[in-house]
Amino acid sequence: MGSEHLTNNIRRLRFEHGQMTQQQLADKVGVTRQTIIATESGRYAPSLPLAFKIAQAFGIPIEQVFQYDNESS
Amino acid sequence: MSKLQKSAWVNLGIMTILTVFCMLCFVFMAKNNAKGIDYIIICFIVGCVSAPLIYVYLKKRGIERNFDEREQLIYKRSFAISAVAMMAFLFALCTIPFFVVGGANVVKVLYLPLIFYSALFAAQFIHSMAIIIQCAMEEENG
Repeated sequence: MGSEHLTNNIRRLRFEHGQMTQQQLADKVGVTRQTIIATESGRYAPSLPLAFKIAQAFGIPIEQVFQYDNESS
Repeated sequence: MSKLQKSAWVNLGIMTILTVFCMLCFVFMAKNNAKGIDYIIICFIVGCVSAPLIYVYLKKRGIERNFDEREQLIYKRSFAISAVAMMAFLFALCTIPFFVVGGANVVKVLYLPLIFYSALFAAQFIHSMAIIIQCAMEEENG
């Protein structure tokens, strides 16, 4: 469930998109707020469909939301 | 409290009531050496107790279908933990008397349904507790 190599910009993107709350993002992508919290803090690596949904919610490509850190592997 | 935690608490409540009730029924039947009419009365009482619990259980199943992927993962992991725990519990329950009482002795038939229901309860209890603990740990971590 952990995501040691996966980083994301969800928090920053939320604030850039009109101070979007975690609940609003959760409602947009169809998950619970707890899942957004866990994803945002890097404790949960979302599935590919959910990652795409999050990127679509911000209207940007997935690679601008999630980054895989190859160096630490 | 998330839907997953609520579902776990409901499950814990339903299973506790049903298990205790079923065990009491078997103990009652064994004590009274039940025959004929006793079974009809017990079936009626079981129906009266089970119907509302089954209704709550079915409503809970509807909630479970709406779990998101992270909750499904917690649910599945808890299920795996409970399956292993149930096997360990069942093993202990069936083998400890063998070593304590001895292989040549006998046990009452009454213990068989009690072992079944206690194993079922143990599995459900551990499943629910595993969900509640995992959710609590996640909340604690922020």
